[in-house]
Amino acid sequence: MSPRPQIEHIRKPQILAAAAEVITERGLAATRISDIAERAGTSASGVLYWFATKDELLAEALTVDEERFNEYVTQRLVSLRSPSAKLLMLFESCVDDYDWSLWIEVWSRALHDDATRAARQRSDDRWRELLASVIRAGQANGEFARTHNPTQVALTFATLIDGLALQVTLRDPLITSGQMLETCIITAERLLEVDLRATAVDAEEKVAERA
Amino acid sequence: MTEVATQPEARGRILEAACELIAEDGIDDVRIARVAMRAGASTALVHHYFSTREELLAQALLHSFELAGDERFGDEPADERTATRALARMIEECLPASGSRERDWVLWVELWVRAVRDPSLRPVATQLYERYRSWLASGVQAGVDSGEFRPCDPDVVADHAMALLDGFGIRAMLGDPSMDVARARTTIARLLAAVLGVDAKELEW
Repeated sequence: MSPRPQIEHIRKPQILAAAAEVITERGLAATRISDIAERAGTSASGVLYWFATKDELLAEALTVDEERFNEYVTQRLVSLRSPSAKLLMLFESCVDDYDWSLWIEVWSRALHDDATRAARQRSDDRWRELLASVIRAGQANGEFARTHNPTQVALTFATLIDGLALQVTLRDPLITSGQMLETCIITAERLLEVDLRATAVDAEEKVAERA
Repeated sequence: MTEVATQPEARGRILEAACELIAEDGIDDVRIARVAMRAGASTALVHHYFSTREELLAQALLHSFELAGDERFGDEPADERTATRALARMIEECLPASGSRERDWVLWVELWVRAVRDPSLRPVATQLYERYRSWLASGVQAGVDSGEFRPCDPDVVADHAMALLDGFGIRAMLGDPSMDVARARTTIARLLAAVLGVDAKELEW
């Protein structure tokens, strides 16, 4: 029995958090295993114990980063009652609270690496399911029209957000992040036949009155 | 010296070889020696034209997009019956449907990644996006002028179309089971048809 696994077990989350930070700052190409080790307060061999390659680290760092984002939005979702308000909040979180550079890094590696591709797919499936659950709730309580399949609408939103985020990241972020949100809202209004902002405000006011 | 003098097209061949290798292996795995071998040149000749690996890679991306841009974002297709069909063809040309376009797509994604961090590449990405956008906007404008499309701001519609093309295109490239190229084509046609007030079938190539 070596005592090492026990110690390493504690360090794995720290290594992943450090990897997400360093890769986001520098890009995968300019990141060395030793940079991640230093940030995590361990040695390069401590990192290599868990992850044989940088691609493995990227795939798992993405998963951790996505979990953090999911936890954050799930907490915010709980405080809102109306699906319109929830959908608006999800759009705003993507525009304001999400760092897209790691995600773009993942696209590039996923073209050449199967593990990264699978990690991207898992994260994307989860994000789309979150969007679909809000759409289903809105269709069930009558805020949204039932014209379109919720899974399809969720896919359209996720896709549109990816494409818009790319424009925001590569062009002038100040000009385009407002437009990004507007485009999401306009598309939602068209597909779900709802005045998203007005419905969100009305519904949340009603909840407040009842309370 | 003779190598340089007798091969004026060598620079182009080196750039072409670099593009091929970026598309095959990913930009991080491209080595000068392999580019030289693929181009049938010496590493010294590669260094003659490009002082660093970074410069070679940046120039290769630029070269690829200048070619793709001239080919693709030149004029709107003039031989289509209607502005709607012309726009349908423009959309089709942006999707990663065939071999050469798939290669362009891989390079396109590599440019995204580099431009996020490298300030010297940012203008390349911005310029290309502007070209892409005004090309699509001109296609939309043509349909508004001919009365086929509902009055709209062509730049806004072009941004919307680009977001859909990039978002669906990357999913198709990554083999997302919910989105192959055929589905991307149908979905984009349906969404843009609703914006422009035309029949979705007419916007599908």
